Amino acid sequence: MPASFDAREFLAGFLVEAAEHLVSANQNLLAVEAMLQKGQPHPRAVRDLYRSLHTIKGLASMVGIEPIVDISHAMEAVLRAADRGGGRLAPGMVDVLLKGTRAIEEAVGALEHGRPLAPAPATLLDALALLPAQAPQAAPSSEETFTLDPALRSKLGLADKEQITQGLLAGRHVWRADFVPSPQRAAEGITITTVREAVGRIAEIVKVIPIQRQSAPGIAFALLVVTDADVMAIAQAVHADAEQVVPVVQTAPPPGPEPLGAAEVERVGTIRVEVTRLDDALDKLSALVVTRYRLERATADLAARGADVRALAFVVQENGRQLRHLRAAITRARMISVADMLQRVPLLVRGLAQQTHKQVTLDLQVGRAELDKGVADRIFPAVVHLLRNAVDHALESAAERTAAGKPEAGVLRVSAHEHGTSQLELRVTDDGRGIDRDKVATRAGRPVPHSDEALLELICLPGLSTMDTTTTTSGRGMGMDIIRRITVDQLGGELSVKSVAGAGTTFTLRVPLTVTIIDAFLFMSGNQRFAVPVASVEEIVDLEGARIASWPRPGSSTGVQTRILDRGGTAVPLLALQSVFRLPPDGAGRRAILVRRNGELIAYEVDRMLGQQEVVVRPLEDPLVRRAGLSGATDIGDGKPTLVVDLIGLGGSLLEAEA
Amino acid sequence: MSALYVAFRVSDAEYVLPAAQVTQMESFNGATPVPGVPPWVTGLIHVRGQVIPVVDVRLRFGLPHLTPLLESRVVVVQHGTRSVGLLVDTAREVLKLAPDAFVPAPELVVRTTRGFVKAVIQAQNRLLLLIDVERIIGWEDVHGNQRQERV
Repeated sequence: MPASFDAREFLAGFLVEAAEHLVSANQNLLAVEAMLQKGQPHPRAVRDLYRSLHTIKGLASMVGIEPIVDISHAMEAVLRAADRGGGRLAPGMVDVLLKGTRAIEEAVGALEHGRPLAPAPATLLDALALLPAQAPQAAPSSEETFTLDPALRSKLGLADKEQITQGLLAGRHVWRADFVPSPQRAAEGITITTVREAVGRIAEIVKVIPIQRQSAPGIAFALLVVTDADVMAIAQAVHADAEQVVPVVQTAPPPGPEPLGAAEVERVGTIRVEVTRLDDALDKLSALVVTRYRLERATADLAARGADVRALAFVVQENGRQLRHLRAAITRARMISVADMLQRVPLLVRGLAQQTHKQVTLDLQVGRAELDKGVADRIFPAVVHLLRNAVDHALESAAERTAAGKPEAGVLRVSAHEHGTSQLELRVTDDGRGIDRDKVATRAGRPVPHSDEALLELICLPGLSTMDTTTTTSGRGMGMDIIRRITVDQLGGELSVKSVAGAGTTFTLRVPLTVTIIDAFLFMSGNQRFAVPVASVEEIVDLEGARIASWPRPGSSTGVQTRILDRGGTAVPLLALQSVFRLPPDGAGRRAILVRRNGELIAYEVDRMLGQQEVVVRPLEDPLVRRAGLSGATDIGDGKPTLVVDLIGLGGSLLEAEA
Repeated sequence: MSALYVAFRVSDAEYVLPAAQVTQMESFNGATPVPGVPPWVTGLIHVRGQVIPVVDVRLRFGLPHLTPLLESRVVVVQHGTRSVGLLVDTAREVLKLAPDAFVPAPELVVRTTRGFVKAVIQAQNRLLLLIDVERIIGWEDVHGNQRQERV
C-alpha cells in the first residue's frame, strides 16, 4: 500500500528532525538554567527554545502525532510568554520544561520502536498550563543597554527592546530614521505606508512611532529598524538625508557570555547520514580491498613465472595507496565528536542528582577528539553506568559531606581526551567516600585488596552486582563486570581504578578510536587460518629455545593444559590455541602470540604466522556463532571467511571458566 | 491461496519450507569451522557480502554425517533479522501447495523428529514434511552448551 509507505517515510524524517530539535532544546534549557544560577537571563536560548518547540509542534501535527502536538503546544505557550517577557524563565520552570522534552523524547522513542503511543500525561499538561503566568517580566527599570530618546523608549515594549538588544549583540545596525509626511509627498505617492514597505524590504522594523515635530507643526514618524543595510539605503527608503538617520548604539556590555554561539558556527555545513549508509560504503570498500589483494597475488604469480611486472606492480602499489586514503576518508566520516557523544551527560547527572536528593557539580572536560560511531555506541553505556554509580553510591549526602568537612555539593568530573593517536581516554572522577575495601571484600568473600588492581578485580566479579543492589549504603559494583566486558573484552581497551577512602574514586577507560578496518596478523592453528588484530598483540615470541615449564593439570575444567613461559623473568601463562579451540592437533607450535589483559600477559601458542594484512572485520552477530574469543570474520581474498580471534576476551572467558 | 514451497531432500525423506523464507540457494564449497559451537553448526560462509552460519540439517536431525557431495545445497533462509544457511543433500524443486494439503504432524512424528517437523503434506503421491525453520536454527540449546562450558 503506497500511502502507508509514504507515511512511514515521512515519519522517519520526522523522528530524525524531532530528535535534532530535542537535543538543541535540552542544551538550551540547561544553558538557561546555568545562567539563572548566575542570576542572569538568557533571552537568546529562550528564543531558540521557542523556535525548536514551535517546529516540533508543526512537524508533529503534519504527521498527526497528537501527544507530541499537545505537549509541544503547551511548552510553546510557556516559551512564547517568556520570550515576550524579555526571555526570562523562573528556576522552577526549567524543571517542568525538561519534563516536557523528556515526555516528547519518550514518545519519539516509542514511535521509533513501533511501540504504541500513550496520550500526553495530563499532570504534565496541567503543570505546563500554569507556567505562562509565572514567566517573570524583565523589570522596567532594568539597566538599559542602548541609547535612545527617552520619549521614544517609553513607547517600546519589552519584546521591542529585546529585539534591539539582540540586533546589536548580533553585530547588526539599529537605526532611528524619521519620516516626515507632507501633502506634497502624498501627491507623489509617498506615504508612511509606502515607506514602511520600502524599509521592510531592507530592514526589520521594530516599531513605527508617531512623534510631534518640534521644529514645525504636524506629525512625523520615527522608524526603529534592525538591519544589515547601510545608512544611505535607509535614508533613501524614508526619503530623508543621511544625517537625519541616527544610530542606536550599545551602552552596556552584552548580558553575559554567549555559550551557544561557537557551537552554532561549527554546525554550519554538516548533514546527517545514517550510519548504515556509511557501513554500506565501507562494505563496498572492503570488497575493493579484497580485490586488491587478489591483484597483488596475481602479480606476484606472474613475476614468479618470469614476467616483467614492473609497470603492473607500480599500478598495484598506487592503487593500494589510494585505497588507504579512501578508507581513511570513510573512517573519518564515521567519526563523531566526543562532545556529541557526551552531550547528554549534563542532563543525565542533573536527573540522577534529583533522584538521589544530592547536590552534584558536574565538571565536563571534553577535548576535540573524535571517535567511531560504533565505539561511541558501545562505550557510552559504560560511562552512564559509572556516572550512575558515582551519584548513587560514591557521593555522600550534603549532611554527610558537611560532617566530613567537604563542601556540600559533590564534584563529578568527566573528562575525555585523546591518548596517543589511536586511543580515547575517558575519566570519571568523584570526590565522594571512596570504595570501602573491607566491605567489598566481605561481600565478595575474598581477602581485602591492597592494591587498586586487586580492588578492580574484586569489584568486577560478576556476582557482586546483585549483592550490591540490596545494600546501597556504600561502595559500588553495580555493572562493573559489564563495564569491563565492554571496555576490555569487546573494545580491546583498558580499565583502571584509583580509589582513596574518604577522598574519592577515579575510573579510567581507554578505548581505541576506531575498530572497523584493522591491521591483523594472520596465523595458522590446528590447520585453520585465523586473524588477530595487531593492536591487541603485545609481542610475538619464537618458542624455539624458549624456557617453558609444564605440568599436567588433572583439575582443569577446561581441559586445557597451561604451561608457564619464562619471558625475561616474568612468568606468562602459555596456552595452546588449538587445544583451547579443540581443533585437531597440528604441527608442533613454533610461535606464541602475547596479549595483555588488564595488565597481565597471556601467551597463545600457534602453529605459524602467515603475515600481516588490513582486514575489514564483520561482527559475528548470529547467536549460533557468537562466542567469547571470536570478534568476527573477515574475507582475506579467498572467498572464505577467516575467523578474527579476540585473544584478550578469550583470556577472560578462560579465567572465568577456571574460576 | 496456494503458496510456493522449496523442497529439499535429507537422507531418505523430502522436506519443504515456505519459498518466501528462502533468499537463495548455493552449492556448498565448504565452510569455515567455528570453535566452540554445536557440531551441527558446520561453520561460516560468505553469501553476497554477508557472513552467515550454516546448519548441517543431517546432524541437526540426528542423522549420520555425510561428506557433502556435488548436489549438496545450502538453502539460505531469512528468519527475522537472521540469515542462516541450511545444508541439505539436494534441493531442486519449487512446489505450489494448497493449504488444504497440510495436515498437522501426528504426535509420534513430532516426537521422533524432536519438533523439527510441523506438518505433513500428501501431494501427487509424495509425502512431504514441513519443517519448523525457527526450531532448526534455534539457539536455545547452543546457549545451554555455552553455559555448561563456562561453569
